[in-house]
Amino acid sequence: MRRIFAMAAACIALQGCANLGVQPWEREVLARDDMQLDANALDTAFDDHIYFSKEGTSGGRGFGGGGCGCN
Amino acid sequence: MADKDLRIGAALAAATCSLLGTATPGASIAADAAAKWDIDSAFLYYGESDDRVRDLSLSAHATRDFGDERTLGLELSVDSLTGASPSGAMATGGPQTFTSPSGRDTYSTPAGEIPLDDTFLDTRFALDGSWSQPFARLYTVNAGLGFSSEYDYQHIGANLGLTRDFNLRNTTLSAALAYAQDTIKPVGGLPLPFAQMTDAVGEDQSPGSRGDSSDDKTVFDVLLGVSQVLGRNTVMRVNFSYSDSSGYLTDPYKILSVVDPVTGDLIGRTPAPGASGPTGVYRFESRPDSRSKQALYAELRHDFSGKVLQLGYRYSTDDWDVDSHTLESRLRLPFGGSSYFEPHVRYYQQTAASFYRYSLANGTLPEFASADARLADMSAFTVGLKYGHATAGGNEWNARLEFYRQTAKAPNEVLIGNQIGHTQMPDFDAVILQFGYHFKL
Repeated sequence: MRRIFAMAAACIALQGCANLGVQPWEREVLARDDMQLDANALDTAFDDHIYFSKEGTSGGRGFGGGGCGCN
Repeated sequence: MADKDLRIGAALAAATCSLLGTATPGASIAADAAAKWDIDSAFLYYGESDDRVRDLSLSAHATRDFGDERTLGLELSVDSLTGASPSGAMATGGPQTFTSPSGRDTYSTPAGEIPLDDTFLDTRFALDGSWSQPFARLYTVNAGLGFSSEYDYQHIGANLGLTRDFNLRNTTLSAALAYAQDTIKPVGGLPLPFAQMTDAVGEDQSPGSRGDSSDDKTVFDVLLGVSQVLGRNTVMRVNFSYSDSSGYLTDPYKILSVVDPVTGDLIGRTPAPGASGPTGVYRFESRPDSRSKQALYAELRHDFSGKVLQLGYRYSTDDWDVDSHTLESRLRLPFGGSSYFEPHVRYYQQTAASFYRYSLANGTLPEFASADARLADMSAFTVGLKYGHATAGGNEWNARLEFYRQTAKAPNEVLIGNQIGHTQMPDFDAVILQFGYHFKL
């Protein structure tokens, strides 16, 4: 629970940092496909499924797909 | 409307060109602008050393843009899995025989080798669909449904998320919920917790020590995230996630060797006269019926004049005492105008679950125990390289080769007698080879 509050506090702090960021006309690099946070989605989906099946923890980036991962 | 204009524009351009008797110079540009489906497809081979698990997988992720930031996402995957998987039993000085998960056959392991169950063969289908659209000014809502099916496992899940942009869209906060309902129906039925492996039975008999034919598992996830533009070349995100699983969380195919509490040696067993069955005492594992995990994930992307560095870190902790750290990095290096190389490294490390055991001491049973190496102290390292090439039409093909090495360790406190200094863990190397094609329709 404490972590949730810490996270919420961090979010509010980030909102407060209005100095961070760029103007709309300064986004030419950020708009590129390879700068998107979800770029390589297929690679990460494959990797997440492999590591989900082979390691003791999974998730964190988003919601994983389903599967037994028993083998 | 814009779509229609583009099509009319392309048609007019084509008509003008045919009137002038020239080729249509803008055809590919017009086609690209009119494309509505963005499809990322890939074929993946995953192969472990020593003839263990091999997986062939095909996956396609299609996104359709309906304009006004409304998008539909569809993902289809097919997996074909073969090979052998460690059963959880320990290696011993003599050969060992086990009853297979179906309860109807046996398989053997030579002396000194880690027992691998080579009887599994599985095909998995997975289909996911998602929809995203603006909800109000600065708000986006997204919802998804997922389904996957294996011979012995069914998954159905739904998720719902909301994002809000702040600060000239430099900050995005997101919150999402997911719920999944899974059903496991193991070959031969669900083993009773800690049931002893019995002799193989005939086709007309039911395997011993089994309970119901299937059981359920539900997973509830919450994810809170913030993504932040840090400058013209840098963007990052931080996610906090909480996941609560309950129901049948045991691996129905995993067993533990039962050993002498002093020497740590396997206790022998003789199959009934005329029967074939285990030559040692083995018990099916038993895990708690709930697990709650919390994870913090951070990712950063930074552009160095065209080169993109991606850094990721995840810390995860749960009430099974599996704490893990994952560090990952990719560096995209463009060259020749239309190609890139992307080296990738990943390091993973976890602590053992509180109920991880290398074996079970004969006598009183603990509340829970599993010898699954995925719940032991473990570290893993991945190194890989991806090559991508953009075609003149704006599509991309790529290839990726990665090596994965996993090393597990049984904590000293779970070792008994002769096991100390003589443990053998089912460490392995794996190769990941992927070919992808990204195109628009």
